[in-house]
Amino acid sequence: MQVHWRQSLMSYTFLAPALILLAVFTFYPLLYGAYLGFTEYSGARFANHLPPQWVGLKNFETVLGDPLFRTALANSVKYLLVVPALQLASLAVAVLVAKNIPGIALFRAAYYVPVITSVSLAAVMWEWVFNREGTLNWLLRALHLTTPEAAFGWLNSEQWAFWAVMLVTFWRGFGYYMVLYLAGLQAIPEELEEAAILDGASAWQRFWRVTVPLMRPTILLCTLLSTIAALRVLEEVLVLTNGGPLNSTYTALMYVYAKAFQGFDFDYGVASAAGLVVALVALLLSALNFRFFHREEQA
Amino acid sequence: MSARTAAAPARVARPVSWRRPVNTALRYALLGVILIFAVFPFVWTLAIALTDKTAGSSIYAFPQSLLPSRVTLHNFVDVYRTFSLGKYLWNSVVITGLTVLGTLLVSALAAYPLARFRFPGRGVIFGLIVLTLVLPGETTFIVNTLTLKNLGLLGTHAGVVLPTIAGAFGIFLMRQAFLAIPAALLEAARLDGASELTILTRIMLPLTRPSLAALGIFTTVTTWNAYFWPMLVLSGAPDKAPLAVAVLKLKGQFNYDPFNIAAGSIIMMLPVLLVFLAAQRLFLRGMEGAVK
Amino acid sequence: MKRSVKALTLGLALVASTASAQTTVTFWTWYLSPKFDGYIKDTISAFEKANPGIKVQWFDKQDSMVQDFIASVNLGSAPDVVNLNIDETQKAAQNGFLTAVNSLTSPATLRSTFYPQSLSNFTSGANTYAYPWYGWLNEGVLLYNPELFKKAGLTRAPRTASEMLTYAKTIKDKTGAYAWVPALKDPNTASFLGYFYAEGLPVTDASGKAAFNTPAHASLLAQYVTLYRGGYVPEDAVRREAFQLATELYAQNRVAMIIGGPQALTRIKDTNPGLYAKTVVTQAPLGKAGVQTGGSMGLVIPKASRNPQAAAKLAAFFTNNANQLAFARVVPVVPTTKGAQTSTQFKTTGSDPVARATALVGASGRLINPGYRAPGNSDDLYKNFNDNIEAALLGKKTAQQALADAATYWNANLKK
Repeated sequence: MQVHWRQSLMSYTFLAPALILLAVFTFYPLLYGAYLGFTEYSGARFANHLPPQWVGLKNFETVLGDPLFRTALANSVKYLLVVPALQLASLAVAVLVAKNIPGIALFRAAYYVPVITSVSLAAVMWEWVFNREGTLNWLLRALHLTTPEAAFGWLNSEQWAFWAVMLVTFWRGFGYYMVLYLAGLQAIPEELEEAAILDGASAWQRFWRVTVPLMRPTILLCTLLSTIAALRVLEEVLVLTNGGPLNSTYTALMYVYAKAFQGFDFDYGVASAAGLVVALVALLLSALNFRFFHREEQA
Repeated sequence: MSARTAAAPARVARPVSWRRPVNTALRYALLGVILIFAVFPFVWTLAIALTDKTAGSSIYAFPQSLLPSRVTLHNFVDVYRTFSLGKYLWNSVVITGLTVLGTLLVSALAAYPLARFRFPGRGVIFGLIVLTLVLPGETTFIVNTLTLKNLGLLGTHAGVVLPTIAGAFGIFLMRQAFLAIPAALLEAARLDGASELTILTRIMLPLTRPSLAALGIFTTVTTWNAYFWPMLVLSGAPDKAPLAVAVLKLKGQFNYDPFNIAAGSIIMMLPVLLVFLAAQRLFLRGMEGAVK
Repeated sequence: MKRSVKALTLGLALVASTASAQTTVTFWTWYLSPKFDGYIKDTISAFEKANPGIKVQWFDKQDSMVQDFIASVNLGSAPDVVNLNIDETQKAAQNGFLTAVNSLTSPATLRSTFYPQSLSNFTSGANTYAYPWYGWLNEGVLLYNPELFKKAGLTRAPRTASEMLTYAKTIKDKTGAYAWVPALKDPNTASFLGYFYAEGLPVTDASGKAAFNTPAHASLLAQYVTLYRGGYVPEDAVRREAFQLATELYAQNRVAMIIGGPQALTRIKDTNPGLYAKTVVTQAPLGKAGVQTGGSMGLVIPKASRNPQAAAKLAAFFTNNANQLAFARVVPVVPTTKGAQTSTQFKTTGSDPVARATALVGASGRLINPGYRAPGNSDDLYKNFNDNIEAALLGKKTAQQALADAATYWNANLKK
């Protein structure tokens, strides 16, 4: 009992800095933001220093009744397709660069370069790639997959803009998750893999039977982060397509952003309500995620 | 997990197998393709930034635009002079440095009990922290600027840094790292009478160095590139603004001039690239860096 | 908490007033630094010399102007003089953020200083909410690349809007370069809402309801749709602002003409001096209505300003005739002051393209008119309008259908 009590005290001492900062700068504003979702708090009220006014579920009706928001939410959910591709690729790349062969440090470092590129810079670069006269079309032409006449700007195409933006998310993400997986791979005892080799397991089998199961905690973390990031994708879209063409890349967070930041006509109430709807979806997906990966984890 | 003990046998570096040269060649080819995918846009931007634009050339003329015939540093000079970037560079260094230190400290301290102790409220606290990843943060800035004003921190670097250092990501990452360390190691230390602080600083932190380094680099990158929050906190003190805010002006100023945009982008990216190259050995080592 | 903040402010104010009997006025400009630092700083020091009791603190805002404005009102640290354009001024006024300037400066003085239309652009109801500042014309001047014209077998600039359309085909077919970049999705008034006005087609009726769904409107839109779908307009024009795109492509010899303010010229001078020297500047063709569309900046006084009187002095000083003319000497903007119409500085013409362009537009500030007033809830209305224009351009809707849908949405979501 004595030990237990001391351990609790110790725990809370260690947690104190984080908890205080989180309470002041995260929990409190989040709660307040959630409250705003149930209030009317528009530019006009704000300018006249009127407090937010309780309106119940009215904002949620507005949001869910807005065809633009429904399109946006559907796009955000569709964006989740990037998660399995990104996670599988990152883990595979991590395994690929984990082995020390000559020059591997160079590859590892280079794969991380996209991660340290800011979104606005990435947008500038990729806009040039996706342009009608950009490198992607040039490459396809060189491979005889398209002709100059059939070329189009990828970001201007209703069918392709969405996937083009997703490719940028993929590009910015794979190095990031690769590093997390590399850190996780270090915890796998090499003896296990050596034993598997002795048993005659192929590289493919080793990946699925040894690496993946042992990496479960890291995969959980990465998938969770990646899912939430995908659902809340905003910056890439803002700078690359601004939601177009024909709202094919307009995401849920863009809707929230527009309502909160569209200048003097802003409406924090509607923005917060839309944000809460997105949060609800994210929460649901995270719970699923935990259920799927959490089984074997232990404290 | 229990297969690993404190006394893991010293690793024998596996000799690179040259017996199957085809395999090796394939591996390098694959590595090379990914390499091009990863760095091509950057290389192209660099090429554009170095191009002498007065020739009226198009950035889309391949493959010449990758190998500019007339190279110049004029675009860099132009951008640097127009914005007198030195001051902003220093601000970025200060803000980023403080944020990284704070994040590592706060995250490691909080993650340790969450990973290793049993105490009432642990589940709730961890749940709450994870929840913050999901909740909509779009309106938090309104409340946070008001809080900072009441604390007298608006318009200061501390005001930019404090609200960002305690985050779910850092705590989560460190918790996962601590979880992976064999319990036997801690028990042994406890039996030797080591205090928890000693265990944290002498055993846990050294063993999780790759994760710490990763968190450090992630934080560096995010902080270095962040502009919305610093812009808001420092809107009344533009002399304290970081480079990311100053570089935003590029867009307004040079939106018609891809050459200067490219040069500005490279200037913006260079410091963080250098930091990364210096630190990458710490966390990009893969198996070789594993605990011995 | 509120009380302590108040006490603090009061305390600070006391300290400030005992230290020296000075008022500090905070002044926010929009996208003017660093390019025009010299002009702004000189004008500020001239103002401070003329008004020894007032000190000016100047900040230049960029993308975040409106957010910073709103945040500062929340924090009780609102600026005193703010540089907004016509649309943002109207929105800020509609939501109650601004003090009417006719309550700070006598209406007679305002009327004698500025063109009537310039004042009217910033007027909502019975009140004017900004001191009109520098302006620009959408159809200000036409500049063209004579070499591309020669290659296309053309000898002179187009003189009418319909001639522009024939030129578009000729130039693209013969040279591979685009003729010009029409504004398809530019914010607010700069694209089709402006075109309608220029062609003498109404945008709204007297009650503010949408009136742009007639066959005449549709056939105008259809012309551009044909052009776009035929590949005669750069594809990126649906994604980027026409002016930026045009300036970038012109400097790379990939667009033959630019229509708009002379400010494009200063940019081309930086990026491609050789082409700049060859560029020919002439009058831009007008639509059937024979009117110019355009816009201007204004200086507003936030309701939350603590020094409205001193702020009004500064705003009036920056926007007076002499200072607007001085600004037009630094950069080819169009002054909104009556005095500019007769100024000799726009009468000199030389061979330099910027000088010629400035001479062509400098004295025509009276023509600056966006053509209609920003509706309430304008962000949502404009987005829907642009979405529908895009649907027409991409062939998802007929021009008539797109405009009918936009009008329906406009009328259903209009807030007054």
